[in-house]
Amino acid sequence: MSKKMARLFVVFTVLMLAIGIIPAMAQDKTVIVWYVGLGAGGQPEQIEAQNAVVEAFNASQDRIELQIQIVDNNVAYDTLATLIATGQAPHIVGPVGADGSNAFAGNYLDLEPLIAESGYDISQFSPASVEAFRYPGQGLIGLPFATFPSFIYFRKSLFDEAGAPYPPQEYGVPYVDVNGEEKEWNMETLRELAMYMTVDANGNDATMAEFDATTVEQWGFNSQWNEPRGISTMFGATSLVGEDGGAVLPQAWTDAFTWYYNGIWVDKFIPNASQAGSDLLANGNSFSSGRVAMAHTHLWYTCCVGDTNDWDLAVMPSFNGVTTAKLHGDSFRLMRTSADMPLELQLASFEVLAYLLGEASDELLLVYGGMPARAEDTESFFATLDERFDQGVNWQVAIDSLAYADSPNHEYAMPNYLKAKDRIGAFQSLIEGTPDLDIAAELEKLVADLDVIFKEEPAEVTPEA
Amino acid sequence: MTTYSKTSIAESYINTSPFYGLQLKKLAMYSTVTLFACIILIGFLTPFAYAIVTASKDEPQVKRGVVLPYTQDTYTYEGKELPLYEVPLADGTTRTLAGLSLKRGATAQNEFIDPQTNEIVIWEGNYRELKELETLEIHLWENITSVWENKQVNFPIMLRNTFAIAILGVIGTLLSCISVAYAFARFPIPRKRALFLILVSTIILPSQVTLVPTFGFFAAIGWTGTWLPLIVPHFFANAYNVFLLRQYFLTLPKELDEAAMIDGAGPFRILVSVIIPQSLPVIMAVTIFHLVFAWNDYFNPLIYLLGKTELQPIAVGIQRFNYVYDVKPHLIQSSMLIGLVFPVFLFLVAQRFFMRGVVVTGVEK
Amino acid sequence: MDITKSSSSSQVKVKEKTFSLYRRQQLWGWVFLSPWIIGLFAFTIMPMLASLVFSFMDFKLTEPDAIKFNDFANYKKLLVDPLLGPALSSTLKFALIALPLSIIVPIGLAALLNSKYLIGRPIFRTLFYMPYIVPVVSSAYIWGGVLNTDTGWLNRILFDLGLGKPNWLFDINLIYPALNIIGIWGVGNAMLIMLASMQGVPTELYEAARVDGANGLTIFRRITFPMISPVVFYNLIISVIGIFRYFEVPYILKEGTGDPNNATLFYNIHLYKNAFAQQDMGYGSTLAWLMFVIALAITLFLFATARYWVYYGSGEQA
Repeated sequence: MSKKMARLFVVFTVLMLAIGIIPAMAQDKTVIVWYVGLGAGGQPEQIEAQNAVVEAFNASQDRIELQIQIVDNNVAYDTLATLIATGQAPHIVGPVGADGSNAFAGNYLDLEPLIAESGYDISQFSPASVEAFRYPGQGLIGLPFATFPSFIYFRKSLFDEAGAPYPPQEYGVPYVDVNGEEKEWNMETLRELAMYMTVDANGNDATMAEFDATTVEQWGFNSQWNEPRGISTMFGATSLVGEDGGAVLPQAWTDAFTWYYNGIWVDKFIPNASQAGSDLLANGNSFSSGRVAMAHTHLWYTCCVGDTNDWDLAVMPSFNGVTTAKLHGDSFRLMRTSADMPLELQLASFEVLAYLLGEASDELLLVYGGMPARAEDTESFFATLDERFDQGVNWQVAIDSLAYADSPNHEYAMPNYLKAKDRIGAFQSLIEGTPDLDIAAELEKLVADLDVIFKEEPAEVTPEA
Repeated sequence: MTTYSKTSIAESYINTSPFYGLQLKKLAMYSTVTLFACIILIGFLTPFAYAIVTASKDEPQVKRGVVLPYTQDTYTYEGKELPLYEVPLADGTTRTLAGLSLKRGATAQNEFIDPQTNEIVIWEGNYRELKELETLEIHLWENITSVWENKQVNFPIMLRNTFAIAILGVIGTLLSCISVAYAFARFPIPRKRALFLILVSTIILPSQVTLVPTFGFFAAIGWTGTWLPLIVPHFFANAYNVFLLRQYFLTLPKELDEAAMIDGAGPFRILVSVIIPQSLPVIMAVTIFHLVFAWNDYFNPLIYLLGKTELQPIAVGIQRFNYVYDVKPHLIQSSMLIGLVFPVFLFLVAQRFFMRGVVVTGVEK
Repeated sequence: MDITKSSSSSQVKVKEKTFSLYRRQQLWGWVFLSPWIIGLFAFTIMPMLASLVFSFMDFKLTEPDAIKFNDFANYKKLLVDPLLGPALSSTLKFALIALPLSIIVPIGLAALLNSKYLIGRPIFRTLFYMPYIVPVVSSAYIWGGVLNTDTGWLNRILFDLGLGKPNWLFDINLIYPALNIIGIWGVGNAMLIMLASMQGVPTELYEAARVDGANGLTIFRRITFPMISPVVFYNLIISVIGIFRYFEVPYILKEGTGDPNNATLFYNIHLYKNAFAQQDMGYGSTLAWLMFVIALAITLFLFATARYWVYYGSGEQA
């Protein structure tokens, strides 16, 4: 190496160091870190909106520096745990639902004293919705922000192509099938319709003998981005945690998992893991690919439904006469970064929270696809969605679905939460990825394993409604 | 018989045979072996081709599920883009028609529209069996720029981070490994052989054994969430590079050291002015090794920079990009290309040093 | 440093001087060696001991106040951990395919590259080597696409040949072959090492063998293999360690879920999930030590077998 080269090298290195270090220099504002990733917030357009909200907040005053930290959902839990462990916990997390709450129970700030101190007006929310955030032993750990009812998205163009009538858009109404027969809108009818809407490369559907399962080009149904406890709520709301704290599997959920498994591997109307992960089905965002006729998911899916505006909403089918439309509710939480966190810092965090729930909420709710907690905002919310989805979506389905919310919620607390969730996740990838499975035996194994996991840490977790 | 075959083999091995038959046989050998190697090579290069071809598609092309980036041709009618097909008609002619209303089934009545005349044509049959009109359109550059400029995972910053971490690491590795290799190569240290054996045996120590306490230690002193855990350990030598450098230093004649010593040079001066100038090739090799290592290191940045998106290097960034854009395979593969272009370039440019380094660490052990 | 001053007798002065030079050199040696010595203690020995201590403790990073010795609870947990068995068996099953391949494939490719009948050897060498340079993360994603059941290139070819659509990444019987295909792609480094050592075999040996009428296979068995056996041995050891470290590819392709049916829950992934995802550093350390003991046993076993098949020409052992 010549001298000149060496000098260049040194200059380059110093430069590299400098670029790396300068941004880390401190400022004297109170820094509040907002951590996104436990729920919605990771999609490109959401990230953009969140960044804009942060910028607007920072421009509006000069005491608080709001910083945003966006982590992908699948590593968000590990990351937050590590941050807490290393004393770098963020001040505000969210949007987060029951799931994220359970995972970090005990790490949240009670908002009551801050509401009193700052004189925040909570009468803008319905008292019941506020009370839903009061947890025994933890206090009031959130304020209402967004609700996400679930229902069926369906693609009108695919039904038109098949000449099949659309699924019902009103609860209690029967489905009239392609032959003009009237049927109760239940899980069996959904199965039949979904099979009819599953088509191979030759145009044969899954109800026909000529159907070639190796060349499927269009699928009838998928459960878009739901975990097993959510998928099975189609068959009713219940819990895997028994009275004694051990694991149980109610009959309805045995039916549910069997239905789901058969849907993938026997009747072939649900894409399996490999199909869902292929280019054909947009690497997992199956419904957006335009090759899936119906999908069960939440209002937040408006984030990612794709650019083709030919879809509408249908109501949830019933099972044994009971209809369940599982519900997500997200809000923001303040974290206790330490036991003796200065009040000033707490108030600064609360100010950000109030901003997110208030001024910034319109913008955020739109990208999150969350129905506003304040009833008077609902109409303008759907009006704005209509601008984006100009095909004329029947939003009444979403509003009506709220009445069929699952209780207990599918994201209820379980003892040893992260480990239990991991085991349930393994079960999901197993059934979505493996043909010729003895599903009954696998369910038995799941329950046995969960029983061990639950009892390993019979935590003092308080179940959530 | 045996004697004859013996000589012929020996001959064919040692000198070129004048016999035509033998020449032909050799030609056959050349082509067989080379062809065989080519077939394997195609297998090795296919994944690169896959990445490039996928990165050349746009979203509609990906959703069509075709191998190559072909776009289905369309005809815009009343604001709608209708797909174009080659439709064989009852009169025996084949016309290019746009599908207006396509229905499922072998006996379905499909409405087509003629792009030339806007005339409606009814065609009975299974439209899925019709040939689609398509055009090859390559979107490679457009995808790569859109990945580069995406707002969620900042690739320029990731690159800057990767280079900074890599270069600081290179400095540490060079300083420490040269020093340690110099000690092993030139100084009378008691139990040197045993120490060297310990050094080499750390190569086979599984890193998990030290992972948890090391992580806990860095967490305790507040270094997690910074580059320090990714850089500082390299200032304390690593077995591969010490080995590589020591082997090289041993080949350098001692006379030059001694001459410098007689001129009054201390050990440090000797290192800087005698050993290092003679060892530039191997130092280059170590530098390149470390650059590639730092570029590819995934696990350590993953755990030490969890959540610190603005500090993460490209290996972690690419994976993050994948979660944000997991529904867009063409962008994912474009990001892969961005990730591998530097190491592959470095390898092709500095191949000589690279190969030499591999050979020394691997063979001369 | 005080040694020179302490000398009194002129008789021993010369001896003293060389002795002091020797001591001085030795001191310099330690100085130059110090980065490694410090690193060895700071990043290897201390952490190893620490992890041994942790393995006897309740140690969760999220609950720093609750750290205490727990009466071998982590070791008892080894016995009841329902996922430890799958983690060990999937690692073993993978190893049974991966280890032979990690030796055979590089030898085969090296032999091919070493063939005098191959035209354009440097080009082949470069291109076979190149995938090794590709970042593991990239290679996992690229192969994830190539091996996709429905849209992957491999299956498109197999399907056109009438061989169906093997479910590479989801079928419990195909997942190990699939992972090994990905592994073979990065075989360049081992190949190059084998090649270099093959080129180091003296040509006289081959000539002599040919004169004796040995065929290709015999020559390989009797000459090439013994001559390159030290390198094969080295690669074998590195491969064994590599299998215990195996993490990135299955972690990225399967997001750490271990599916299908825990077949990709490799030991290191199990360890990572316990120590980091579930923050149980105590049990994580226990798992690490269990692995260390197993790896050490295998390595020692391999060293013990080495004298039966590894040939060290000069009689010197590595």
